[in-house]
Amino acid sequence: MLRFVHTCILGLIAAGVVHLAIVFMLPDHTVRDAWSRISNAADYYQTIQLDARPDSPLRIDNPYFAGAACRFSLEDGLLHVRSEGKIPFWTLAIFDNRSQNTFSLNDRVAEDHSLDTILLTPIQMQRLKNDPSADLGQSLFVETDVVEGFVLVRAFIPDETWEPQVRAFLNSIRCEAVETQ
Amino acid sequence: MVYRVFLLLVFLAIAIGGGAASVWFALDNAPLTGRFTSGPWQAFPLLGTPQADPYSRARYARSGGLPLGPSEGIVLTAREDSNGDPLRRTCTYVISGQLPPARLWTLHLTDADGGFLPDHGRKRAALHSWMVVYGEGNSLTVHVSRQPQPGNWLPSEGNGRMQVVLTLFDTSVAVTSDQFSDLRLPTITRADCHA
Repeated sequence: MLRFVHTCILGLIAAGVVHLAIVFMLPDHTVRDAWSRISNAADYYQTIQLDARPDSPLRIDNPYFAGAACRFSLEDGLLHVRSEGKIPFWTLAIFDNRSQNTFSLNDRVAEDHSLDTILLTPIQMQRLKNDPSADLGQSLFVETDVVEGFVLVRAFIPDETWEPQVRAFLNSIRCEAVETQ
Repeated sequence: MVYRVFLLLVFLAIAIGGGAASVWFALDNAPLTGRFTSGPWQAFPLLGTPQADPYSRARYARSGGLPLGPSEGIVLTAREDSNGDPLRRTCTYVISGQLPPARLWTLHLTDADGGFLPDHGRKRAALHSWMVVYGEGNSLTVHVSRQPQPGNWLPSEGNGRMQVVLTLFDTSVAVTSDQFSDLRLPTITRADCHA
């Protein structure tokens, strides 16, 4: 009997360890998170369109917003995200591969409110600065520690008349890996 | 020998079964941490960020949500009116007061699980800052009701509970514990109820 009680106590202690292990491992292993869903829906650098409709791979939970997202890996080089056209309001967020929002900006910081951003690691930034031949252009540079993740652009649709223009903006989003020396 | 195997099975059942069941229970039932409240409004600014605690992180990962970052905006949700009573779609409410500074805001109704409420004809259960009519001193009055109302109206179709979701985009409001409770947000007052 004593051995049985002993086993139960040991079992409870082990249950605590299992509990903590699951809690900490769950974000990396769940298949229901945003990263897994976008990975199932599209390959790297392929832009997918998102809204609140049931067939959207990820739900944008605001009735006046639609979005577009693409996966990236900075091991392939810098990420260049850009689109064409102008719309009333957009935001950009960088999610890591654990689906955490790690960096965000809105169109106020962008040159004449257009979307043209280069995402790179601090090391890539350093290399770029030391390369006199590099053409930095007009793009907005964002340094990030996120090597693999996805970019999400959310865009405001004030009413139906704006819908075609905002959808065209989201459809025109291109995500490209730019190789560096 | 048989007793030893039995003890081992008991140990494994408690360790794995108990561990897994307690996680499942904790994630589905425990209240979310990191909540900031101001009147009926609540916000979870750390949800879905690397600063969230492990339980919130695990729960959020399973939800597939796309949280707003600090430069995008903040989401304020009310499940109750300013008296602390649950919001019901059969009741009429008046949301009134000043909104914090933001470049853009949206206000919409959802069911208890966060799904949008159905449209009333062509009228959506949602408003935004470009389309509302402001009162004196930039104050805002919005009626939430199943019946059409003059002025700013949000139709609350159906039965059961609902939530009012206010999203402030590009706002200087930082949701930190001491600042948030001092924030001036609209009140939600129940006018009447049709059971």
